Amino acid sequence: MRNWKPFLGLLLAFALVLTACGDDGGEDTTAAPAATEAPATTTKAAPATTEAPETTTTTEAPSEETTTTTEPPVVRADADLVIWADDTRTPAIKTFADQFGADNGLTVAVQELGFGDIRDRLVTAAPVGEGPDIIIGAHDWLGELVSSGVVSPLDLSAVAGNFSEASLQAFNYEGQTYGLPYAVENIALIRNTDLVPDAPATFEDLEEVALGLVADGTVEIPLALQQNGNGDPFHNYPLFTSLGGYVFGLNADGSYNPEDLGIDSEGGLVAAQSFSDWAEAGLIDIDITYDIMTESFGNGTAPFAITGPWALPSFEGVNFVVEPIPPVDGGDPRPFIAVQGFMVSAFAENPLFAQTFVLDFMATQEAQEAIFAADPRPPAHTAAFETVAAGNPNIQGFGLSGQNGYPMPAIPEMGSVWSAWTDAYALIFTGSDPVQAFGDAAEQIRTLIAGG
Amino acid sequence: MTQSDPGGRRSRTVNTQLPAPPDSPRDQGKRFPWSLSFTWGTILKLLFLASVNMMAIWSFPSMWSQRWWPGLIAVLVSVALIDWAYLSPKRLPAKYLVPGTLFALIFAVVPVIYNAYIAFTNFGTGNVLTREQAVENISGRVSNVPGSTQYSMTVLAADDGLGEFGLLLEDDSGNFFLGTDDDFIQLDPEEITRDENDRVVEVAGFSALSLRQLADRQEELTDLEIERDEGGVIKVVTVTTAAVYEPLFQYNEDDGTFTDTETGVVYTEIEGTFTAPDGSTLTPGFRAFVGWDNFTRIITSEEIRGPFIRVFLWNYFFAIFSTAINFVVGLGLALALNHATMRGKRIYRSLLIIPYAIPSFLTALLWQGMLNQRFGIINELLNANIAWLRDPTLAKVSVLLVNLWLTFPYMFLISTGALQAIPTELQEAARVDGASTPQVFRRVTFPLLMVTLAPLLIAAFAFAFNNFNIIYLLTGGDPPIAGAQTPAGHTDILISYTYRLAFETGRGSDFGLAAAIASLIFIMVATVSALSFRRTRALEELT
Repeated sequence: MRNWKPFLGLLLAFALVLTACGDDGGEDTTAAPAATEAPATTTKAAPATTEAPETTTTTEAPSEETTTTTEPPVVRADADLVIWADDTRTPAIKTFADQFGADNGLTVAVQELGFGDIRDRLVTAAPVGEGPDIIIGAHDWLGELVSSGVVSPLDLSAVAGNFSEASLQAFNYEGQTYGLPYAVENIALIRNTDLVPDAPATFEDLEEVALGLVADGTVEIPLALQQNGNGDPFHNYPLFTSLGGYVFGLNADGSYNPEDLGIDSEGGLVAAQSFSDWAEAGLIDIDITYDIMTESFGNGTAPFAITGPWALPSFEGVNFVVEPIPPVDGGDPRPFIAVQGFMVSAFAENPLFAQTFVLDFMATQEAQEAIFAADPRPPAHTAAFETVAAGNPNIQGFGLSGQNGYPMPAIPEMGSVWSAWTDAYALIFTGSDPVQAFGDAAEQIRTLIAGG
Repeated sequence: MTQSDPGGRRSRTVNTQLPAPPDSPRDQGKRFPWSLSFTWGTILKLLFLASVNMMAIWSFPSMWSQRWWPGLIAVLVSVALIDWAYLSPKRLPAKYLVPGTLFALIFAVVPVIYNAYIAFTNFGTGNVLTREQAVENISGRVSNVPGSTQYSMTVLAADDGLGEFGLLLEDDSGNFFLGTDDDFIQLDPEEITRDENDRVVEVAGFSALSLRQLADRQEELTDLEIERDEGGVIKVVTVTTAAVYEPLFQYNEDDGTFTDTETGVVYTEIEGTFTAPDGSTLTPGFRAFVGWDNFTRIITSEEIRGPFIRVFLWNYFFAIFSTAINFVVGLGLALALNHATMRGKRIYRSLLIIPYAIPSFLTALLWQGMLNQRFGIINELLNANIAWLRDPTLAKVSVLLVNLWLTFPYMFLISTGALQAIPTELQEAARVDGASTPQVFRRVTFPLLMVTLAPLLIAAFAFAFNNFNIIYLLTGGDPPIAGAQTPAGHTDILISYTYRLAFETGRGSDFGLAAAIASLIFIMVATVSALSFRRTRALEELT
C-alpha cells in the first residue's frame, strides 16, 4: 500500500505536465482525442497536423503551428478566419482557404471535426466565443441552428442564378437563406448489370426479377435496402412517396407545413400495407444494415441496392448502373434531397471575411468542381454539375433520380418524426398491423410537436 | 493492515517531511545543505506542487480575459490551500482532507448543483443564447429590399484608416456614392483619387484601408448601417459589396419588446421567447429561469407520462433482478474457486475476469451483432431463428444476459475478496458444532459476507439503475412499444427514455427537461440507497 504512493504521485504529476503541454499544441497529444472517436480519424489526423504551417500565411509571427489541430475542437483555432469541416472536405477546402488567406493577408485555419460534432459543438461553442467563422454542414441542421441563433443569414442574390432550385430552397429557412449550397445528395437505384442486364420498368418488375434470382439461388439478398434492424424512413421514402405518402404538406411558398402530417394520410397507409407485404415476401429485410448492404451488393450477392453516392466506393468489384427508382404502383418515387453547404456563424469573429470567402471564393464553378474532386458528391452549382456529370454516368444517374426529390425537412420537429417513424417501420417488419403502426406513429408525432 | 504498520507509516512521514537524523543510513549522500532533506519523496512532492501551481498560473490569463471571476477565485483558493497544506511539515490531516474535499467539490457537488440549476431553466435547442445575444440577433434580422441594387464597394476611413468609415459605392449604372454613418451623397467621379493600378486611394478626406486594417475593424463595419433618403439601410455584404436592406424588427428599449416593422405586431418576452399575442414566436429564444415548469411537465404532460409507468417498473425490475443474478453467479463461482481442493484456480480466475477487462461499450456492440436474428452467430450456432432483440420478452432477457456477462466478473472479484477475508476458524468452529455445509454457508459465511458486500451491492444497484450504456448500445430501448403516446421501447430504462425524450424527439435538445428528470432519478436512487444502508447497519451488528 505504502510503496506505490510515490509512483502514483509521479504518474499524476506526469499526467498534469502532459496536459499542460497538450494545450500548447504538442503534436503527440493532439492525435489522441481523435483516436477515441473512431479509428478512421486517427490516420486523417496526421496529415492535418503536418499541413498546418502551410495554412497560416504571411503577416503574423511564425508561432502558428497550432492553427490546424484535431484536439478537442470546442476551442477555436488561433487564426483570423476559422472553418470547421469534416475529414473528407478539409483537404479540398484547405487549398482555397490558403489562397484566400494569401490574397487578403489573413491567417486561415481549417479545423477538422466529426460531421455531427460540427452541429452539436457550434450550438454550445459559438455563443461563448469559441466557435468558428464558417461551418460546412447539411441543410437539415438549419432548424436547430437557426432557432438557436448561431448561424447568420447570407445574401445569395448575386450568385443564386448559378445554383439549382432545390439546393437554394433547402437552405431557405423561414424566408431567409442561411447557406451556400455545394452538393446535392439523394438516393437512387443501383443495379448490377451482370445479374440484371435490363432496367426494370416498374418496381413490381424489380420485385419479380429480384425474388426470382433469390429463388433460383443466384443471389442471397433480393434488394439491398438498409433498415438497420429497425426501419429506415430516409431510405424508404421514395417507395413511400410513390404510393402517395408524404411527410409534411407544402405551404404555398414551397416550405413545409408541420401541421399537415402525411404519414397516416391515405397514401401513407397504403404504403404501410405495401411495406408489410414486401417484408412478408422477403423483398425487404429488417436485418440489413449499411454494412450488409454494401457488402452484399459489392460482392454480387444482391442484384439491386437503393443507396446514395457515399456507398459507391464499396461497389468497385461489380458492374453497375445508377438509375432512378422505378415507379411503384404507377406513382412517382421522390427521394429526400440532402444539401451540403457553407454557413456563417452568427458569432463569427470575422463575419465580413467569412461572407466574402463563402460568396466570392466558394460560389465559383472552379471551387465547386474542386470540392467534387476531393469528395465526389453531385455539385449544387448547375454548370459544375453539368461538367462533372458529362464524364460520370453515376453522378448523372443520381441527378436524374433527384429531379423529383424534395429537400429533407429542416424544421426542428424532424427529431420526433425520425424517432416515431423508425419505430413504426420496426413494428411493421416484426408483424404488427401496418395501418395501426403508422396511425400510432402519426399520433406520437402530433403529441410531440404540440408538446414541444 | 492498520495493525501491522503504524510505525512504518510514521517513519516515512519523518523521512519525507522532517530533517532526517544525520545517521540515517537511507539518506546518506542524498542530502542537500538545506534544512529540508531532499529524499525522492520530497522531490516528487515539489515537482507535483510546481506543476499544480504552473497549471493555475497558466489558466489565469484566459480566465482573466473572459472575466470569469468565480473560476479565477476558485482556482486561486484551491491552489493556495494545496500549497498551504503540502508546504508545511505539519498539517497531516489537511494533506488528506484538502485534495479529497476539492475533488468532491469539483466532481460531485458542482455538477449536482449545476444540474439542479439547469433543471429550472429552459436551456436547450432554441434557448441557448443569453438575452442580450438574442436581442442583438433579432435586431439584426433584415430583409432584402426587392429589386434593390447591389453596390460594389471600397471601404475607406478618415484619419488614415483609423477614423470614421466612408463607403465608396458604385451602382449598376456607374453612379458613385459616398456613405457614412450619418450621410449618403452622390459623388462626381472626378473627386475620386486613384493610383496607377486604378485602385481608389482617397475620396474627400477618406483614405483606403489596408486589408489588415479591414480585418481588424470588420465588426464595426458589419454593424455599420447607412440610411438612404428613399428608405432602407445599406449594409456591407462582402469586402467588396454592399446592399440595401430593411430591418424586420424594432427593439423597444423601454419595455423590452420587439415590434414587427411591417405589421406592427408586438412581441413580448415570455419565459425566454419573444411571443406575439397570437402565440407566434421569434427565433432565437434565450436562456431563462422557468421555475418548476420542467417538473410540472413531467407530471402533467401526456407526452412524458404516457409510457412512464412501464419504463419505471421495468427499470426497477432490471436494476434489482440484474444485481441479484449477477451477484448469485459471481458468488457461486467465487465459492467454487475458493474451495481448497480446486485445482488450476489461477487460470480459471484469470479467464473469468476477461469480460470485465474488455470495454463495456465494445462488448455491448459485439453482443448486438451476435444476437442479430438473421446474420448473428448465436442463431447460426443454435441453427434457430430466434428474435433475440425483436421480441419484447426476449429482448429483456437478452439485456439481462449481456449485463450478466459484463458484470459477473466484478461480483466474482468482490466475493472472492470478501470470502478470503473471513477467518476459516469460524467455519471450522461451526462444523465442530455439527453444522452441515449448507448450514455453515447460510448461518456463518453468508452473513459475514454481507457485512462487506451489502454496500457494494447497493452501489451495483444504483449503477444498474442508470446503466445507459448497455441499453443504448445493445437495443437502443427497442423493440418499440406499439401504441405508446411517445416513442418508447420495451427495454428502455428511465435514463435511456430521458435521452430519447430530451435529445432525440421534440425540438432538438432539451437540457432543462433532461436535467429535471435526472434530478428525479437522483432522488429515487438516493432514497433506495439510503433505506438499504439503514438495513445493512443491522447486519453490521452481527459481528
